[in-house]
Amino acid sequence: MRVPLFRLGLWLSGLVLVFNGLFPALWILFTSLKTEAELSRIPITYWPDNPTLANYQRAFREAPLARYFLNSVVVAAGATLLCVTVSAMAAYALARLRIPYAGGFLLSLVALAMFPPATLLVPLYQIFTGLGLRNTYLGLILTHAALSLPVAVLVLYSFFKTIPKDLESAALVDGCTRIGALRYVVIPLSGPGVFTAALLAFVNSWDEFLLALTLNPAKEMRTLPVGITLYQGEYLFPWPLISAALVVALVPVALVIALFQERIVAGLTQGALKG
Amino acid sequence: MSRGLGRSTANRAMRRSPRDLSERALASWLLLPAFALLGLVAVYPVLNLMVTSLYELHLAYGPKGAFVGLANYERLLEDARFANALRVTLLITLVTVPGAALLGLLLALLANLPYMVKWPVRLGLLLPWAMPLVFAGLIFRWFFESDYGVVNDVLRKLGLAPLFWLSDPRLAFWAISASIIWKTSSFVALVLLAGLQSIPKEYYEAAQVDGANAWQVFYRITLPLLAPSLFVALVFRTITALQTFDIPYAMTGGGPGNATETLAMYIRTQTVENLNFGYGSAMAVALFVLCMATTALYLRFLQREEGE
Repeated sequence: MRVPLFRLGLWLSGLVLVFNGLFPALWILFTSLKTEAELSRIPITYWPDNPTLANYQRAFREAPLARYFLNSVVVAAGATLLCVTVSAMAAYALARLRIPYAGGFLLSLVALAMFPPATLLVPLYQIFTGLGLRNTYLGLILTHAALSLPVAVLVLYSFFKTIPKDLESAALVDGCTRIGALRYVVIPLSGPGVFTAALLAFVNSWDEFLLALTLNPAKEMRTLPVGITLYQGEYLFPWPLISAALVVALVPVALVIALFQERIVAGLTQGALKG
Repeated sequence: MSRGLGRSTANRAMRRSPRDLSERALASWLLLPAFALLGLVAVYPVLNLMVTSLYELHLAYGPKGAFVGLANYERLLEDARFANALRVTLLITLVTVPGAALLGLLLALLANLPYMVKWPVRLGLLLPWAMPLVFAGLIFRWFFESDYGVVNDVLRKLGLAPLFWLSDPRLAFWAISASIIWKTSSFVALVLLAGLQSIPKEYYEAAQVDGANAWQVFYRITLPLLAPSLFVALVFRTITALQTFDIPYAMTGGGPGNATETLAMYIRTQTVENLNFGYGSAMAVALFVLCMATTALYLRFLQREEGE
């Protein structure tokens, strides 16, 4: 009797987990397939009566959704590239080179990058206005790269600690310069760590809202979260557009987590726990 | 890190090459970009913020302000809207941090069961984590909508009266808190799940041999060994809860009235919208101090771990 009961419990708890995690996303997916008439019907429906892609057509035609998507891609890709490059350099130095106060440097990098975005928005608005960086890709790329830096540094730091030091020493003995050892030994080996850090930096930037709203509010420079959230003030009944746009915006993130589940989980815990 | 022992022949060979960088020079060059980036986006802005908070600077009246010392901070103490925003922020923190910790712990315990197929469960934890906060806010705004919302639909089906979730100040607070708890519990669960998986199986086997019941196992083994992960998750959650912006912005815009306006929302209204940068900066400094005090706690913990 014990075993079937246990298996039933297992099924139930699995269902609870999946339902809890996926219900809002599935609901928005079903909603995006409903007609506007069905959307404004009471009592509400859960499964669409006549599934249609009309909302998706409207979302791309009536609002600059394609432009928002492009902006998000450019900003997230740029921020990821910058963040990972800068973090990998710093993490390598802290993990591998003999420098005084390496622990202090690591802590100060993490502390600086944990400055709260909600307070940074005030001076960044002023400084970026002065530098002409508001409503540009570069401004938001710099900002997002800095925000993802602590996670990336911690992930890469713990990764570099796992590469055997002997490999580099061997290269140095063979007459390689330090830069050469980096180029031919360390960089080729650091793929997995760099990739994990890149995934986290990408999701961070793709999701960021407050600074994107503050620094890039011009219609043609909005990222997806900003553009879609502002539909609320721009359309009388925005839900058909919002539901379709949300699905479009969630697809890349859903793909990333579906394909790289284990890597993201590992990276998250390294980034949050310690180096 | 004993200096004498670590010096290998490799290092000495390297030192002889005149064209190569010394270890320290290389380290400085490698660290420079990270500190330059943080200098531009974090350090200089915060210094600028602190200076601005001592000025009466209203961008609508020109780019230069008058030095007023601590006047902006005195004004904070008398500003009822600031007091309300601080109260809302602290209440959200008090409700959603323990809420997300409890729900996250439950999800992690369920996710740690021996499933034959693991990916649906992992996806169930990862999707809420990876979804932008503001999207969760938009979806839950719709869930709590009085006519078309799922919550009221369920209430009606149960024969109960529908509620005006987002236009009643008290209900709006709870609707927002519930949404934040749902969205953030997945992060807590992922961190705790990693903690659970690092607990050695032998402990559980030993407990079984000793005849411990399920509650004793949880209370005496799981919980104490999970404490470090729980602490990290709680600190992270507290720092983000103090900065709550996205979900209330999407769900109520701070309304009805200012009932659900958080500090971050009020700061943004005063500065970016009203252009009152002097006063807004003083508020931002207050939030900064609050967050950094929490971060300091976290860093002390990291340092202690590093020392072990």
